[in-house]
Amino acid sequence: MLDSIIKAYNEAVFETDKEAAFDVVNAALASGMRAEDIVFKIVIPAVEEMMSNITRDPDANLAQHFMTAQIASEVTEKMLEKFEHPPEIIGRVVIGTAHGDLHSLGKRIVMGCLKALMVEVIDLGVNVPAARFVDEAVANAAQVIAVSAMMVHTATGENGARGVRQILRERGIEKQFRIVVGGAPYRFDNELYKTVGADGWAPDGVNASRMIVDLIKEVKAS
Amino acid sequence: MTPLEILVAAVTGAPAPRIPIFCNLLDHGPRELGMAQQQYYANGEYVAAGQLKMRERYGHDNVWSLFYVGKEAELLGCNEILYAEDGPPNVADFVIKSYDDVARLEVPDDITAHPAWTETARCLKILKDEVGATHPICAYLTASTTLPALLMGMDKWMELLLTGPADVRDELLKKCSEFYQKEVAAYRAAGANVLVYSTPFGSTSFVGMKRFKDFSMPWMQLDLTPGGVGSIVYYCGMAPFNNVIQQVMDELKIGVYYISPLADLAEAKAIIGAKGLTCGVIDDIKMIGWTPEQTRAEVKRMCEIGMVDEHFLFGTGVMPLGVPEANIHAMIAAAFEYGTYKRD
Repeated sequence: MLDSIIKAYNEAVFETDKEAAFDVVNAALASGMRAEDIVFKIVIPAVEEMMSNITRDPDANLAQHFMTAQIASEVTEKMLEKFEHPPEIIGRVVIGTAHGDLHSLGKRIVMGCLKALMVEVIDLGVNVPAARFVDEAVANAAQVIAVSAMMVHTATGENGARGVRQILRERGIEKQFRIVVGGAPYRFDNELYKTVGADGWAPDGVNASRMIVDLIKEVKAS
Repeated sequence: MTPLEILVAAVTGAPAPRIPIFCNLLDHGPRELGMAQQQYYANGEYVAAGQLKMRERYGHDNVWSLFYVGKEAELLGCNEILYAEDGPPNVADFVIKSYDDVARLEVPDDITAHPAWTETARCLKILKDEVGATHPICAYLTASTTLPALLMGMDKWMELLLTGPADVRDELLKKCSEFYQKEVAAYRAAGANVLVYSTPFGSTSFVGMKRFKDFSMPWMQLDLTPGGVGSIVYYCGMAPFNNVIQQVMDELKIGVYYISPLADLAEAKAIIGAKGLTCGVIDDIKMIGWTPEQTRAEVKRMCEIGMVDEHFLFGTGVMPLGVPEANIHAMIAAAFEYGTYKRD
């Protein structure tokens, strides 16, 4: 039975059909399935399946990324209300778009996936100064600082990831955090993330969440 | 031959001494005139002067009437633009903040009478008078399926498109298509002769093939049918679109394709062939870190692929300010060198 639920849910996500995904989840709940199992056995594996699909499917697209994140986030939120015990949080990330940048789509995709993967997300919004990324990361004991930038000047400028790195260095707290970046400029130059002082990047928001989870574990292990 | 004649020859396949060479320098204008962005973009004479000076400095073929992309949002009621000294201005205030705002959105009856058009018209008149007979004058027009992103933000537009009420979505798209049709007519009348149709949702990097066929294609048809596709360039905001070129050729009859640097140029050229014009686009974000020699090598590679059987144009994306000037000179010199046809 679980296999058929997973199959139906994955198909709904792949077709970007939120209503169908919720129908599957509600039917599973009605049949007696626990909310915890829906999140850990259906929703999280579906996000991971989508990560693999994006990598190998040339027709994977922004609409799928967006809906994967939306569906995963909304289903998880609804299921968390029904959990018997609060789930264990993997870690924390502060996320925002770089100073001067008002594009929020990429950030929203990453946030949706991270919530489903049990990462606590502190959303700093758009047009965020470099110092605020650092201040909030410290205040919230985050492991990862995620800086989104859709334009070349906000990706490479002193007020973006480069500035975050500089401030971490000046304060002597570089080792406590990892910096990740995302956005269109990094897709056109895959080495650009190193130039701006980031520890990682991903070509899409869904796979960015996997990288962030890996970096959280790396920081916690160090 | 003039650069305009060379461009026409590249489209039609008539003999020409070289390929057309496009370099899209927008953000460089204020620096060229030694002005702050806000001062520069407030006056169409400055924008025209910036374009003409940069064309003289680098020697490429085209000039632009585009100030910045958010200009279209200003024609639809946006009152706040975020300026930057090191990059393009951005829309800072979205006209549509709730679905109720869609009903309130007004497309001007005559966009040429709108105050936000005044400086664009001034710029176009100067460009037309100075180089209109000899050089391509480019205009940038956002497709109905993409314009909502400028009016409400891309994430809110995706939300409306994929999960929102269909009647609200369709009302917004109809207004955006009406705006496009009026805008393209205004640009044509004012002398623009290269009309870049920016349609990221015309790429399956944005929506899947099914939604491309069922959603993007019908709206593109609605945009383009009234005014026709003369001088239209199919451009997906640097996203790849090789897999839909044939369909776009068959159904929309567009002849000019601005290929993404992320796409396979040889594949695009093979699809388009002599039926249209393939525009090879250099990855100008990589140019920030390249040497002039690396830049030359890439131009050479692209020309070798694209110039076979002619029907080829060399172009850039929206050149970032961070690209070293030496690389821009190297790129254009190489395009003239490798882009010259060797005829017996």
